[in-house]
Amino acid sequence: MRRSAAEIALSLGVLALGAGAAVLTASLPGEGGYARIGPNFIPAVVSAGLILLGAWLAWEAFSGGWRGAPPDSAAERGEHAFDRAAFGWVSAGLFAHMALVGNAGFVLAGAVLFAAVARGFGSRRPARDAAIGLLLSTAVFLFFVRVLNVNLPAGWLAPLLGGAGI
Amino acid sequence: MEALGALGAGFAVALAPINLFWGLLGVTLGTFVGVLPGVGPALTVAMLLPLTAKLDPTGALIMFAGIYYGAMFGGSTTSILLNTPGESASIATALEGNRMAKAGRAGPALATAAIGSFVAGTLATAALTLLAPSVVTIALRFGPAEYFALMVFAFVTVSAVLGRSTVRGLASLFIGLLLGLVGIDSQTGQARFAFGVPELLDGVDVVVLAVGLFAVGEALYVAAYQSRLPATLERLAGRVTMSREDWRRSWPAWLRATAIGFPFGTIPAGGSEIPTFLSYAAEKKLSKHPHEFGRGAIEGVAGPEAANNAAATGVLVPLLTLGIPTSATAAVLLGAFQNYGLQPGPLLFQTQTELVWAVIASLYVGNAILLVLNLPLIRIWVRVLEIPRPQLYAAILVFATLGAWSLHQSPVDLAMLYVFGLLGFAMRRWDFPVGPAVIGLILGPLAETQFRRALAISQGDASVFFAQPIAAALLALTALLALAPWVLRRLRRR
Repeated sequence: MRRSAAEIALSLGVLALGAGAAVLTASLPGEGGYARIGPNFIPAVVSAGLILLGAWLAWEAFSGGWRGAPPDSAAERGEHAFDRAAFGWVSAGLFAHMALVGNAGFVLAGAVLFAAVARGFGSRRPARDAAIGLLLSTAVFLFFVRVLNVNLPAGWLAPLLGGAGI
Repeated sequence: MEALGALGAGFAVALAPINLFWGLLGVTLGTFVGVLPGVGPALTVAMLLPLTAKLDPTGALIMFAGIYYGAMFGGSTTSILLNTPGESASIATALEGNRMAKAGRAGPALATAAIGSFVAGTLATAALTLLAPSVVTIALRFGPAEYFALMVFAFVTVSAVLGRSTVRGLASLFIGLLLGLVGIDSQTGQARFAFGVPELLDGVDVVVLAVGLFAVGEALYVAAYQSRLPATLERLAGRVTMSREDWRRSWPAWLRATAIGFPFGTIPAGGSEIPTFLSYAAEKKLSKHPHEFGRGAIEGVAGPEAANNAAATGVLVPLLTLGIPTSATAAVLLGAFQNYGLQPGPLLFQTQTELVWAVIASLYVGNAILLVLNLPLIRIWVRVLEIPRPQLYAAILVFATLGAWSLHQSPVDLAMLYVFGLLGFAMRRWDFPVGPAVIGLILGPLAETQFRRALAISQGDASVFFAQPIAAALLALTALLALAPWVLRRLRRR
């Protein structure tokens, strides 16, 4: 019988999400005025729903696997095995962007993100990718700030970008 | 006839030069982004939402009408030439369209898709124009109990009835409902599930969820499992036109598909996926050339594409008249309305008559722009498909993070974006439908408000949901739909 560790873990994850929500719901007030139900009523319903769905998923996982779920073997799905480096590069790009955008600015953070994601997808020319990323995010920056009036952080490049943005 | 007068006034607004410009910009950007492989219409609309932050509501919504249609059309171009549909609604198009492209008939395939989209979109918009006022008249009599019942009905049909797995659809819906609870409770001011984080007090923005699930999740998934697979792009040789024979075979398919697509769009049946496949099946059955199906039959492109556009227009009927989104894209559009403090529904037709009809008029205009723009520009869209995957996904993520950052200028939104990206990755890998989560996020709080309002009116008496015939009938129908598959399976096993 097919039994997938990932499916079991995810089922328990949904269950835990519902349980966590239930714990938080318990501290919400139940005063309801005319309706006689307070701000805790729907959260309680949703928590209970998640717990039930987690249990249902777990039951499916233990009794033959999730119904109609894709096969665990990547080859059977017509894909290659999980590429940890690729996943890591895309994630690292997003984290670097998160850390940089506030102080280094939108343009530099965008260039770093661009180069890291391209690396994750198999590009081996980081300097060229960074340059493309720099051009793209500069163009986007100028379009948003000058044409659409949307504020974006200029950061370290503020002198070059003409003090536009914030 | 009242509607025609209002529509006339709407055209006056939609055809004003500045609004025409926003419509044109919307169609162009929508098609450009929609063409990108892996980018469906919901993501296109969500990624382009920040563009309109400083526009007036009329201009912004007209632009969104253009983006909506552009994104739909862009997806079909991708599925014909690349065979990687960016959205489930384009899968049926890819079946025959990609075969036609492989046989060197990409031109006629793209032409029948473009002209069929225009024909179906225009007919469906006319149907919307005629239907909307009567739905509004009925909806004005709805109280909170009826609205709540209608929303529960929509929840169940989009998550539990359609799709491969009831339990995974419901799990997706409930995750969306949970996220919808985050923030200040609109009735009492009580903060819920916010952990004292100011960004969370505002609630989870639909843009962050949609972009996280669709863009970041998709990028993580493709990087992890598909980045080393080769992609084959079909060449577009010859002109994008149709022969007399192509026309003769496309016409009936377009009309039939409109008749299938529009009604399906108006009911909460999860958008365009089902009608496109129904249209494909109908064309296959009725075709005088059934042997061509599977080898590139033009009816197999004309039908599903027209059905897709007709359904996409049909989806706007419940969205505009009732405020109920029945597809992920419609949920993001509803978020766009809410950004301007507008709540779609029957009251909007009364308080903002001009705005609503300007949006409807811009649907006609958007369809026409799409046709005029796309036939000549199609070679440019084909070039977009030639962008190598590394740079393509890098660019998508630059735009994805821009949308999340522009909400509060805060890294918290970017962190949420990544968390939703991980969620989207898992949902893609283990086949959870994403639409119900987005619909749950945006419709959940509205349903809660109606639920509590209904109970406040009845002084806490829950029988209010069963005492009124419309609400009771809708809830009974919901229960029937939810249980029917299970009961049928039981009966069949005997």
